[in-house]
Amino acid sequence: MTARGARGGLAWAVVSGLALLPAAGLFAEPAWAQAAAIRDYAEPALIDSRLAVWIAAQLHLDFAAFVLAVPMFALAIELFGWSVARRDRAAGARFDWLAHEMARLLPAAYSLTAISGALLGMLLFAAYPRLMAYMTETFGPTFAVYPLFFVLETVCLYFWYYAWDRLQGGRKWAHILLGLLLNVFGTIVMFIANSWATFMMTPGGVDESGALVSLYGAVWNFGWMPLNVHRLVANITFGALLCAAYAAYRFLSARSEAERALYDWMGYTGNLIALFTMLFLPFAGYYFGFELFAYSATYGVTLMGGVLSWLFIIQAIVIAILFIGAAYYAWLGLLRIPGSEPQRRLIPLFNVALIAGFMVWATPHTMAASIEESTGQFHPLLGALGLMAPKMIAVTLILVVLYVSYLLYRRAGKVPVVPWARAGARIEWGLIALMAAIIFGLGIYGYFAPADVRIQTSIWQILVLIGGILVTFVLDLFLLRGAKTAAAVRWGSMPRRGQYVLILLAFVIVWLMGLMGYARSGARLNWHVFGLIQDTSASAGLPTLGEAAIVVTLITLVFFALLGVAFAISALSGRSELPAFGEPRRGAVA
Amino acid sequence: MTDHTPLRRQPWVPLPVAVALVVIAAFVGLKLVRPVIPQSVILLYMGFIVLGLVIHITLEDTRIARFSGFFQSGPGEGILVKVERVAVLALLPAVAAWATYAGLRPQYAPPVEIFQRHPTVGEATLAQITVPAWAADPATWREADIAAGKVLYTANCAVCHGENLDGLGPAAAGFRYPIRPANFRDVGTIAQLTLPYVYWRLTTGGLQNQFNSAMPRWVAAPGDAGASALHSNDLTPDEGWQVILYLYRATGYTPRVEALPAAAHASH
Repeated sequence: MTARGARGGLAWAVVSGLALLPAAGLFAEPAWAQAAAIRDYAEPALIDSRLAVWIAAQLHLDFAAFVLAVPMFALAIELFGWSVARRDRAAGARFDWLAHEMARLLPAAYSLTAISGALLGMLLFAAYPRLMAYMTETFGPTFAVYPLFFVLETVCLYFWYYAWDRLQGGRKWAHILLGLLLNVFGTIVMFIANSWATFMMTPGGVDESGALVSLYGAVWNFGWMPLNVHRLVANITFGALLCAAYAAYRFLSARSEAERALYDWMGYTGNLIALFTMLFLPFAGYYFGFELFAYSATYGVTLMGGVLSWLFIIQAIVIAILFIGAAYYAWLGLLRIPGSEPQRRLIPLFNVALIAGFMVWATPHTMAASIEESTGQFHPLLGALGLMAPKMIAVTLILVVLYVSYLLYRRAGKVPVVPWARAGARIEWGLIALMAAIIFGLGIYGYFAPADVRIQTSIWQILVLIGGILVTFVLDLFLLRGAKTAAAVRWGSMPRRGQYVLILLAFVIVWLMGLMGYARSGARLNWHVFGLIQDTSASAGLPTLGEAAIVVTLITLVFFALLGVAFAISALSGRSELPAFGEPRRGAVA
Repeated sequence: MTDHTPLRRQPWVPLPVAVALVVIAAFVGLKLVRPVIPQSVILLYMGFIVLGLVIHITLEDTRIARFSGFFQSGPGEGILVKVERVAVLALLPAVAAWATYAGLRPQYAPPVEIFQRHPTVGEATLAQITVPAWAADPATWREADIAAGKVLYTANCAVCHGENLDGLGPAAAGFRYPIRPANFRDVGTIAQLTLPYVYWRLTTGGLQNQFNSAMPRWVAAPGDAGASALHSNDLTPDEGWQVILYLYRATGYTPRVEALPAAAHASH
């Protein structure tokens, strides 16, 4: 799992004060020129080097994803609170509290990012000296630029977090600017590290012997931008779910009603951000996969039809758990709203639709069957469900169900006052039904159409979904304009089981990220750098699916143990004052 | 439990009984489908169904109360309720016992295997296969080669893969586990593969190795010392390529294009 490794190498370089760089040959004779003198492999750890690097790399990535994502939505919430504060000071203070509360997890998590990165860097350079010499030679200038941005990010983060209370009022703009810079530097840091990881998958900018032709080409290799996009979106989902889990932990251990109400609201916001970004993740994943397949057909075969293909069945099930869990939490949230009975009556119907949709979504095309069960070919009935067209119908309609759940949540406990409310609601539901029917019809058409037409119909399904959501949401905004609130939302009255679901979702996303990280790295098979530097170490082979799942689970458990420490440290430095909690603007963050 | 407004609805069947009935009906329904649905898929579906039921029960405080209240006996309850309670309570250990028995009873069938449709092959192996110039570009394929390929296919391959290339040859029914002969018209077979990969399958087959298919080896790989001892290596390399050309032309698919040349990567 050396692809991720490169990234942590950088964190280590920073921590060790750049001491490594001269040794690695940046300022001396090129390391690659001395390749003959460099050993291919070493065994610095007591365990298998590949396993050690895998664990360190994934832990580092988990923490890095968290510290990169949280400032993004924390800043967005802070900015929103700042704009709201001009009209409503109490609401502004509440959003500011929420942003700070999310950022509170950062300092401890940042230290753990650096520590895991240092461990990874040391392991990489010690265990894979020849590979790292090559990477240093190829990416030398980026190795020098990376620490610079890392330091800038660090400075911004600590000032942004610790100067929060000082930079209020008239100086808030300076705080926002710091947050903005923090995000810019953090994103640059991730983009640089992604270039090393993707270079190992889809090398560019080098000739057939691996000698560097263009650093620009090496950085902007085929997989670079897709991975940047995929990680950017996935990190936000990841960070939001971890923040929601933190809120759940604080909710469960809250000592006062006010505290419980605030952390209930925080958990709701985290889940909403995660749900919203999750909608885009499948498409970001397709984009990454598309580029990988275009680069080498071997990736296509390995990932989709070959040795790693079963990971995607597991992925389908785990994604189903994520969506179902997030939807369950959202439905449970209706209990907070007095007068939500009409909406709650529809939930069993949504539940059936969601479960049925995910059963189709997770049906494998090639099934694991015993000799008695095997039909030798695709199952005549269920085999059809394993194809792309029914899965696209299922997943797109699942997104419709989730969207409608959100609309119902907005409507719960509210009485529209516009004169055309009844007709408007009918038009809105009619449009949603039409959208679902078109998506279904396109899917049926695509099922019988040739492959190239089928891909086009799936794109149309997405466009109909996005178009339908945009039109109906705008209509909904007008429909609920000035709507009377029948009763205030009872924040803090969310059942405890909802909090456990948030914690489960955090566990699931960390596990899923580990699993797909393994798929991404494992797809290179026996190459360190695909097609250029072969992995000739003793552990070059892929582990079995079971072994990989055990390692991923182990990493997830270690991550949560460390995160628990970070949570506990964060909880120690609690602010004594909690903002007053009135009626927050439901759905405003989305 | 928090005080939430309950949904008004009086059920006529106790909730746990309804849940048990749904689980049993779904399981029996899935079991009755023919051809049989593999156990692995039934387990997957049942997992989702149970998850849906758990969600349904726990979404409302009143439902949780109704569910748990069923298991507490009360004064003056009828015999029917008692019987239902015992039946539902007996269901769990019965399922556990059945699962234990099913897992431990002696079986003679090979264990369930995960089948990989396209065995993974290293880039280095594929790199050793050179596509002849006359076979490399679909635009310049010669009709004579395709016609020759059709004759070879009909004589050697059609018995399993079918004259229509749909995997339904006369001998296909004889192969059932783990997979029947490939249907080349399916988008999941040659349409996804590159020329070297398809050629590699011809040289490798399936019978003699771990890939678990009955496909013989049709062309000897270069330098293969064991070639003469193989079940079949009837085709010359050129004949192998002719068959491959015919497969693509007859199905209307074009082979996937392999990785861009390194020079293109360098300039990217």
